[in-house]
Amino acid sequence: MSDKSANTPTKDGYWAKVAQDGNKMGFWFVLPTVLLLLFIVVFPLFMQLYLSVTWWTPLEGIPWYMAWEVFSWGENYWYQLTDPRMWGALWRTVLIMIVAVPAQFFLGMALAYLFLEQFPGRKMFYSIMLTPMMIVPAVVGLMFYLLFQGTGPVNAHLGLPSNFSWLTDVHRAMISVIIADIWQWTPLMFLILLAGMLGVPSDQLLAARLLGGSNWQNFLKIIIPRMKTVIIIALVLRAVECFKIFDLVYIMTKGGPGVQTETISIFLYKLTFAELEWAYVAAIGLTILFVLSVVAAKGLSYMAKKDT
Amino acid sequence: MSSIQIRNVTKRFGDFTAVDDLTLEIEEGEFAALLGPSGCGKTTTMNMIAGIEDVTEGSILFDEQELSGTRIQDRNIGFVFQNYAIFTHLSVYKNLSYGLEVKKVAQGEIERRVKAMADRMSISHRLDQPAASLSVNEMQKLAIGRSAIVEPRIFLLDEPLSNLDAGFRAYMRAELKVLQHEFGQTMIYVTHDQIEAMSLADKIAIIDEGKLMQYGTPLDIYNSPDNRFVAHFIGSPRMNLIDGELSQEKDQLKLRANDGAEIKLQGQVKSDFASDGKVQRGSFGIRPQDIYFGKQRSDSDMKMDGTVEVLERVGPKRLAYLQVSETRFIAFDDQDQLKVGDTVPFYLPSAKSMAFDLTSGRRLGGAAK
Repeated sequence: MSDKSANTPTKDGYWAKVAQDGNKMGFWFVLPTVLLLLFIVVFPLFMQLYLSVTWWTPLEGIPWYMAWEVFSWGENYWYQLTDPRMWGALWRTVLIMIVAVPAQFFLGMALAYLFLEQFPGRKMFYSIMLTPMMIVPAVVGLMFYLLFQGTGPVNAHLGLPSNFSWLTDVHRAMISVIIADIWQWTPLMFLILLAGMLGVPSDQLLAARLLGGSNWQNFLKIIIPRMKTVIIIALVLRAVECFKIFDLVYIMTKGGPGVQTETISIFLYKLTFAELEWAYVAAIGLTILFVLSVVAAKGLSYMAKKDT
Repeated sequence: MSSIQIRNVTKRFGDFTAVDDLTLEIEEGEFAALLGPSGCGKTTTMNMIAGIEDVTEGSILFDEQELSGTRIQDRNIGFVFQNYAIFTHLSVYKNLSYGLEVKKVAQGEIERRVKAMADRMSISHRLDQPAASLSVNEMQKLAIGRSAIVEPRIFLLDEPLSNLDAGFRAYMRAELKVLQHEFGQTMIYVTHDQIEAMSLADKIAIIDEGKLMQYGTPLDIYNSPDNRFVAHFIGSPRMNLIDGELSQEKDQLKLRANDGAEIKLQGQVKSDFASDGKVQRGSFGIRPQDIYFGKQRSDSDMKMDGTVEVLERVGPKRLAYLQVSETRFIAFDDQDQLKVGDTVPFYLPSAKSMAFDLTSGRRLGGAAK
């Protein structure tokens, strides 16, 4: 490059400088992508922020960018704090999280430990194990919808009468949803934990056994501490995902009976399309985004600390 | 402390036989080395003793007690891995205490023994630090200390010195010998380094292709190898082994080397070769330090004339590569008078020469036991 510039007459224009400077050139190369990202990520975020501080709904009769005409200050944010339906939906989402995620974790951990050893048919079982998470959640919802019918296979196998309802019962509807979620997402937990477990040096595990440690002692003292990072990733990932649970619930119960299985996503969906409260939805959405970001950041920083 | 009996042990991986009908007895308190080239089955043998690998056939016993069916964690074996397998997520202290903690030894007792062991291995200043921060040399000490602290029945060491730098390796060799003496421990040491085996072990088992070639004291193995493999494997520089056809002309038994030289056999080695009348193809062995120049010392020593091809300095001595026809003999130039290109007479002392059957590799004659 220096040879060329010595031979050809130097141009002083901006683009000539860009051609010389890697950083400037890089800027121009990534600019289109940055603009695209701004448009699809940052713009909607600001749009949401804007709408969340108004009373605007599609029925308002004014375009969304004119929403300042119905400016509400922070009323939506205040209202959500006192909205029992919002708190109910939040609690049910958290309930799914605190039941399903630990269940997935312990099942996944146990399965991963089993798969640490070689056994006949390991590869086949491995493929079968991973199938549930490959299935589209809506299809899983439909499967469990059919399974939990009064005249469906679950009741038939358990010897329960056909009027023993799952999906329309106040308590059992939630249990059904949680079972479906555990079924679908244990494989992901299993996959992540198995990858982490395979990363534990086998000679150290062997050394621990030779020192007389039982399998359980070695599991607690060697395997678990070495998997800490992976465990946190798996838990944070699933916990955040839980907040997004929608397809399963929508197809199995539509949030019912009543609001008994109404999660945050279902609640927001109903608010958006049935009640058309777009400004309120924007406020709740932003609040959840904020809270989840804080939780994830805490988890990740804890992990980074443990790593060093 | 235990004795170990390995009886007719065979280990197969599919079609591959890693260990073939191995029988070996290691006395209580003995330091035995398993020596052999890479892939000879020595590590597999060690793994079977530890219970890491199952035995296909035969049995392994500690103090005459059958071990098969005893789980790894119940065998009470000290095992030092080639790469040490230190628990890098734990402190040095926790590494040392691991074997005691899992056995639920009282806390005060653990503390006392960890301190004593750390002192013994001179790593006490490192106790609170993460084990991952140790140098390779300290890891080595920690690995030995971690195994020794549980007072195992036997101690297995898998090439423990191969990752160390040369200076520390020599130090650690001496240290291991001292430790073995202190612990009075039965130890099995796997290595492919004959110097380690010769200097450390009370007894050496030489293994090749899964078979036991010879088991004996280092001097025994050096001075009277049972077969051509052991003769070739032990000793540095290696023994001269001249392979060729045996032929009888009148009274004279000759070995005509495949690459030209002809040795007119005399004395002891002659009767060794003759002891089995059927042997047609033989191998003549003589260690470089046994070849001499100058005046013939005994009537039975065999005179050869060779051209000095190369002189190589090895420490204070020089190695001479002597070419007889196309056959090469290596000898120590003990007079320091040779020049490259000279044709000089040299002598192969009959009493120190060895006769082997080239086909089976076994030692021939009275000297062989």
